[in-house]
Formats: sequence, C-alpha cells, structure tokens
Amino acid sequence: MAAQRRTAFFLPEINNNNKGRRKSTLHRLKDSLQTGSIPDKSAQTFSRKEIALLRNSLKQNICVEMLQEGYHRSFSELFFLLHSDQDRRAAAEPGSALRLQTPLEEQQGKLETMRLHLSQAEQAERIGSWSVVCEQRLILGQYFSAPEDLWLSFHFYHSCADREEGGCCRPAVEARACLADLYLQQGDLEQARQKAELCFNQVDDGAWQDSDGWSLRVRVRHTLWRIYSRLSDAPLAAGDYNEALELLHKGYSMAAESEDKQIEGEANYQLGLAYQASGDHDAAKKFFSTSMQICGTRQDADGLGKAYKAMAKSLESEGNIDGTVRLLEELTDISRSNGLQYNLVDACLCLGNIFFTMGQYKRASESFLQGYEVACHVGDVALLQKAQALVASARAHALIGGYSADVAAATPTALQRLLAWKETRRCQELNTDSTDRTVTAWY
Amino acid sequence: MISGATCSVVALASPKGTDTFCELCQRRAHVQCSRCQVTFYCDAEHQRADWVGIHERICQLLVPLRSPTLFSSQHPDCIETQIKKVRMSMELIEICKSVAQSKFSEGKYQEALPAAQFCLRCSMDVHGPSTAQLVPAYLLLAEANMGLGNLDLVTQLLSQAEWVVLKSPECGHTIHHQLHKSLGLLHMATGNLEAALFHFANNIYFASEEYGPDSPVTCGGYFLMANIFARQGKMSIARSLYSEVAQTWHCLLTKRLETHSQKANEPDFLFSQRAEVEEMLRTMLEFEQNASRKDSAQVALVAHCLAMLWFLEGDSAKVSHITKSPSINFTLTQ
Repeated sequence: MAAQRRTAFFLPEINNNNKGRRKSTLHRLKDSLQTGSIPDKSAQTFSRKEIALLRNSLKQNICVEMLQEGYHRSFSELFFLLHSDQDRRAAAEPGSALRLQTPLEEQQGKLETMRLHLSQAEQAERIGSWSVVCEQRLILGQYFSAPEDLWLSFHFYHSCADREEGGCCRPAVEARACLADLYLQQGDLEQARQKAELCFNQVDDGAWQDSDGWSLRVRVRHTLWRIYSRLSDAPLAAGDYNEALELLHKGYSMAAESEDKQIEGEANYQLGLAYQASGDHDAAKKFFSTSMQICGTRQDADGLGKAYKAMAKSLESEGNIDGTVRLLEELTDISRSNGLQYNLVDACLCLGNIFFTMGQYKRASESFLQGYEVACHVGDVALLQKAQALVASARAHALIGGYSADVAAATPTALQRLLAWKETRRCQELNTDSTDRTVTAWY
Repeated sequence: MISGATCSVVALASPKGTDTFCELCQRRAHVQCSRCQVTFYCDAEHQRADWVGIHERICQLLVPLRSPTLFSSQHPDCIETQIKKVRMSMELIEICKSVAQSKFSEGKYQEALPAAQFCLRCSMDVHGPSTAQLVPAYLLLAEANMGLGNLDLVTQLLSQAEWVVLKSPECGHTIHHQLHKSLGLLHMATGNLEAALFHFANNIYFASEEYGPDSPVTCGGYFLMANIFARQGKMSIARSLYSEVAQTWHCLLTKRLETHSQKANEPDFLFSQRAEVEEMLRTMLEFEQNASRKDSAQVALVAHCLAMLWFLEGDSAKVSHITKSPSINFTLTQ
C-alpha cells in the first residue's frame, strides 16, 4: 500500500532531524518554566507534551492545558478574551497606544494568572460553591489594575457582580464597590451610582471587610459621597440648586457616617458652597463653620483655608465687611503660621480686593504687596504677575485720587504739592527710590 | 447488484514495458475493468471491492485521466492538458472524500477503504509526496482502518500525517483539528486516556480557532473529551461538558426548527452528520439517566434536542415515542 511503503524512511527522520534543532530551545524553555522535575535521562527523548510546549504558541499551550484538565468554560472565556483583545487592537488606529501594547496572548504572567483563577472558579462552580467563584473572579478583577488592562478588570468584576447565583456574597458585593470606583474613575456617574447604591444596600447589615482589610461599609460610603458630589456638579452649574442640594445632602449623610473626618469636612464645605450659590448665606455659613471646626481639629490647613475663604465670601455678600476683613486677617495669620504660602497669597489678594472695592486703595495696595512678596518667595510666575498687576492698579487708583482732588481743590497748598510732584517726577524715572516718597506726600 | 464488468488483461495489448498493477493491493494485475479499461486488478475479488467502494462513481472519470498518454505527447499544448488533468484529479479527490465520509456515516468502513486509498494516491500524484495536502487523505485512510480495528496501521498512518504537518508550518487550523481528533481517537482506542485528552484538547483549540468556540464542530470535541472523563470516573467534569454540548445543539436545533417552518424542504446541513449527532445525543441521554444524581433539566434538554432532530427529519413516530417515554415524561413534568 502506498502509505505503508513510506513508513520506513519517514519515521527515523523525526528523531534525527528534531533533536539538534530543538535542544537549545528546550534548554531555554526549561529555564523559563523551571521544569526541574524532568530527570536527565529523559532529556534525550522528549515526551509529546514537552515537544508541544516548545513548538506551540503560549496561547495554545495554556488553552490545551486548561481543556485537558476539563476546564472548558474557563477555556472558552479565556479564548473569548484573547479574541476580543485581538479585535480591540485591530480596530485601533495604526500607531496608537493600543496597537503598540504587547498582545495579551504574549504575556505569560497574565495568562497564567487567568488560567489559575478561572480554573479554580470553575472547579467551585461545579460543586456549587458560589462565594468561591465570586472570590476568584474578584481576585482577577483586582489583578488587572494597570490602565491598559482596565477592560479586563471590568470584565471580571462584572462577571462576579452580575451573576445570578451568589450575587449577595461578600466578594460579589465588593466587586460592585470596585465597579463603582472604576465607573467613577471613568466618569460614568450613573453606572457608578447604580452599582454603589446596590452595594450599599447589601453591605448595610454586615461587618464585611474588603480585600485590604477596610470596612466595606465605610468604603462604599466614601465612594457614594464622591459620586453624589460629582453628580451635583451639573445641576449646580445649570443653576438647579434644589437638585444639587438634594444630591449633596445625600452625599453629606454618607460622609457623616463614614467615620472619615476629612470627607465630612469636605462635604460640609461643598454643601456650604451650594447654599452660597443659591443665596442662602445663613445655611452656608453654618456648614462652613462646621467645616472650619472639623478642619481645625484635623489640622487640615488646606481645608481650613478653603472654608475661611468661602465663609468670608458669604459674609461679604451679606454686606458684613468688617466680619469679612476680620476673617481674612485671621486666615492670613493661620496661613503664615502654618507656612502655607499659596493660601497666604490667596488670603492677601482677597483682602486687597475687599479694600479695593471699598475704595481704600492704600490698604489694598499694602495687602496686594504682601501677597506679591509671598508670591515672589514662592517663585510662581503666574501668581506673581497677577499680584504685580493688582499692586499696580491699586497704586494707580491711589495716585489718581490724590491728584484729581488736588487739581479740583486748586488751593495754594494743593498746587504746591502738584508742583513738587511734577518736579520730582523727572528724576523719578531715573531714581525709582523716590517713587514711594512722592506718593506718600499725598497722604 | 452489478459490480462492474470484468475482462482479463491481455498483456500483449498494452504497449511494451508497461506493467499493470492491482488498484487495491499493487500486485501484478490479471483482470481489468471493461468499462473504462484503464483500471486493473489482481483478481475479481478486488475488482468487486473497488467497484462497491469507489470505482462505480469514478469509472468514466478515470478514462480521460489515465488513457491519453499516447496522444498527449503529440498534442501541441501539452501543458494545458496537464493543467486539465490536475483539475480533474482534484475533482476526483473531492469525490473520494465525500464518498468515504458517507460510507463512514453508514458504518461501512471496509467499503470506505478503496475511496480513501484512491484519494491518497491521487493526492500524491497531484501534490507530490509528504505535502500538507496529503493529510486529509491519510486521515481518511486512518479513519477507515480505525473502524476496522487495524490500530497498528492507524498508528503508522497518523504518524505519517503528523510528520507531514510538522514539516509544513503553513498547515491550516482545520488540518490540525482533524489530525488531533484522529490521534485522540486512536489513543482512546488503545486505552491511553491521558494522551487522548491531550489530543482532544488540541482538537478543540484548533476547532475554536477555525469555527469559533460555540460551533457544532468544536462541540464534537467537547463530547469526545466528556466520554474520556466519564471513563475516568470524573463525572462532574463529564456532566459539565455534556451540558455544554447539549446546550449548543439545543440552540442550533431550535434555530433550525424556526427556519425550517419558514422554508420547508431545504437541503439540511444536519443531514451529513445526522447519525453522529443522534448517537451523541443518545449517549448523553443515557449517561444522564444512569447517573445517580439525576439532573432533570439536562435530561429534558437532551430529549428535546432528540425530538427536534427527529422532527426535522419528519420522523414523527420517533418524536411521539420520545415524548411519551415514561422516564422522560416524568422528568419533564417535574
């Protein structure tokens, strides 16, 4: 028979030809896979499996091993993911970041991890232990934390959170919390809110901890506060204060019970701001002062600065200028003593602005100058230039005021002063030191 | 049954130096087919076997392929005739494949042998020895011998096929898929279950690459693997695989049923693998019914598949039989 005739010369060639060519690759593979268990004797003749490991792609080896162990669902999931990775990359623009990434099927660590946890999940699925299934999937979701693997993270969290069986076990609830965080990061606030609220309802009556040992309840409150606060941005910008306030109050109640003082202070501040925007300064002041208190006890100078400024603004809009000035001076002191340069500049400029609007140009220019000096010290050019312009404008206003008063008065003393100024102005261009003296001559 | 007409070879009638050999066993020929006069046999026995196996289909097709050697040298455009010949050979290969497949599905392995052999010979003539195109022919031959229980021969054939595949990296997924399936079946027959698992796993991998992980082809691989796990006593894995297979076929048959009611009497793609599918479903049903912990949902699913399959064939007696079967009725009502 035709087939038989050739057997004699086909078979020996397999061995002869293969050995020399494959050996070096096998040694490399041996090192990488650390298959130290192979005894030296069998290094001469490789088993079918070892040859397959050498010849075939990483993807094929992993898939085949999974199938051999009977994990067919894990196989089809992994297969699906690898193909979606290919599709994603094929759909990407040539030369884009996605194209330049290493394909998933070439990253051994990731493939091995997926194989391990998917197999364990499938094993647990067969015996109906759903919480283990969810836990394994949660681990995978957390494993893919790199930005380029975000889609995998989403996939595994969803596969954990959206399953019918075991949807209320701790890992599934934690997966929802993680999803809420991810969606929040991505800016998909509605999805984030939905996941977080679901998670919040389920976590409410349990003392569960997440994988890092945090209380899940605190964590989800934290997330919810951030979601509500971000959600309120849009209605606030559109002037729909009722809705914004409703959202912020929800967030506030989350923050208040989260045992985290920082976000509680922040929540108070945000609510205050919303009230301030809506024109309800009393309520705003109440929240600002709570925020100031919390920040004071927490030694959070940054938060304190923000709260002070907001409070001062509220007082100013109410017409309580003295209060505003007092508050801002207090803020300047606090900032100076804490060494918070930016806050100090801010406070000084605010104070200057208030004096400026009141027409007290000299005091305004003093405040601005103070701010300017601190800004010089900080070395922030943009801030420095802003302060510079403000100083100049305040001084100019001061100068014009005196000058026009003298011109209008037309008394001998006034004329004298004008003449003296006129005389000194020439040298003023040459000698900048004289500027201050001339200006002070008016007051 | 007419098994072709025979006449004895008259050695003097053929040109000097041409020896004629039996189509099946390559021994010196004594008789020839009187219809085409280009096919020779050692005895009437082989002639009959070849006639039943493949020759009846291709008898007249062989005439232009084998006889015109005398004229071709005189023909001005010799290359064109060569091309024509190659094209005819390719056609013949396809015919042989389909004939062999249909013989397999009828369980007539002995009768499939001539077709498979001719397929291999023809492939060698067209593509040369040890080329990737020979693999399907080797696999056909192996499958026929497997059915006949000639495991040694199967081993030889498959190692040849494997060697060819090794040497031709351009082999497609389909060839790998088929080769691993055959190798798996061989190991399963020799009782080497681990090796069989390895090959079936590869079979599934390549089938998934070629047809997608949900296709019925891949599903066939799952079924084979499940059988091994069942033999190894790993019932939970086997059950999980069977349920995957049942679900895939259920989906497929349901879709089929919907289109069937729209346009009746369409040629059915299931028909070629019908026997195989029915066998598969029956095995699964039996497995589930014999299991200690019965999964009635699975039983119902498989029974529904079978019923749909028979309905699509128009075999209403079997459909009513299965729906009235007490054990299935029991599980369905549960």
